[in-house]
Amino acid sequence: MPLKTTQGRIWKGVRSFFSFWKHFLIGDSPILALGVLLILAADYLLRNSGFLAPVLSVTMVLVLMAIAVYQKTRHKNSKL
Amino acid sequence: MERGCMVDQGTILLLITVAVASAVEATEALTIILASGITRGWRSTVEGTLLALACLSGIVLVAGTTLILYVPLYILRVVVGTLLLIFGLQWLTKAILRETGFKALHDEADIYDREVVTLSKEKGVRGQRDSLAFVVSFKGVFLEGMEVIMIVISFGLGNGSYDQLGTVALGALVGVGIIAATGAVVAKPLAKLPENYMKLGVGVLLTVFGLFWMGEGAGIQWPLGDAFLLVLLAIFAAATLCLIAYFKRVHGKRLEVRA
Repeated sequence: MPLKTTQGRIWKGVRSFFSFWKHFLIGDSPILALGVLLILAADYLLRNSGFLAPVLSVTMVLVLMAIAVYQKTRHKNSKL
Repeated sequence: MERGCMVDQGTILLLITVAVASAVEATEALTIILASGITRGWRSTVEGTLLALACLSGIVLVAGTTLILYVPLYILRVVVGTLLLIFGLQWLTKAILRETGFKALHDEADIYDREVVTLSKEKGVRGQRDSLAFVVSFKGVFLEGMEVIMIVISFGLGNGSYDQLGTVALGALVGVGIIAATGAVVAKPLAKLPENYMKLGVGVLLTVFGLFWMGEGAGIQWPLGDAFLLVLLAIFAAATLCLIAYFKRVHGKRLEVRA
């Protein structure tokens, strides 16, 4: 019984730890974290494309920002 | 010579970002500390606050030193840039939503009142050790401080040296110090601070530095070198203003339709 209690506490602690970091890094906008990772992958693919790489990288972040705001405004509206 | 000048401008931008970000988070922590101290007594509140600050300083020293010593600079830049870009876009989108009316503004006075009501319900003896005051102040300072710590470590490791980590930590201390001193003098939540404008500014700066370092780490050659930071700053400031103007109109139209 005490072993189960200890295991339960450890499991709860592990879950809390990951939940804290998930909330901290991803928050309530998973689209931002996912979008940034996709832009990072695109940056690697585009790195030898000269002037195109910075232009596309900046454009992708601007589009992601607009999508994230738009998505939240839709979400808020659907709640009303 | 010109590059040195741009590096200085970059450092100044970096210091401003860290100081303002720290001030914003310190304002939120101050509300919790004041509510706890005034309602439950100062002894345990101060102890909880000091312990949280000690833990946060320890994290900066341990994590900062380990990362500088053992992780190659190009990997650091990618990780740091990615984290900063995620944080920056989170700050920015929330601040835009608040500015346009889609999200309620952060009201420190209201948060303070709610904290006071919650803390007053629990029994406790003023003047003696109070575990609730200790936990509330520790948690408040630690959680609000974690975001600052991530920003400090990320910015501090931008060039992979201890010097920058120290400079950035100093910027954070200045931001926290100003808010702590103001809070100690006025002894009430800093509700009149233009928190959302500060968040908008920090969001733009975090996004700009994040994008720049992530791209650099991935191998992108930014035109104009470090000076491109200023170009990015102008682009993202303009984009933020455009989004605010557009979504303010959208929000206004929706209110008209509902009315």
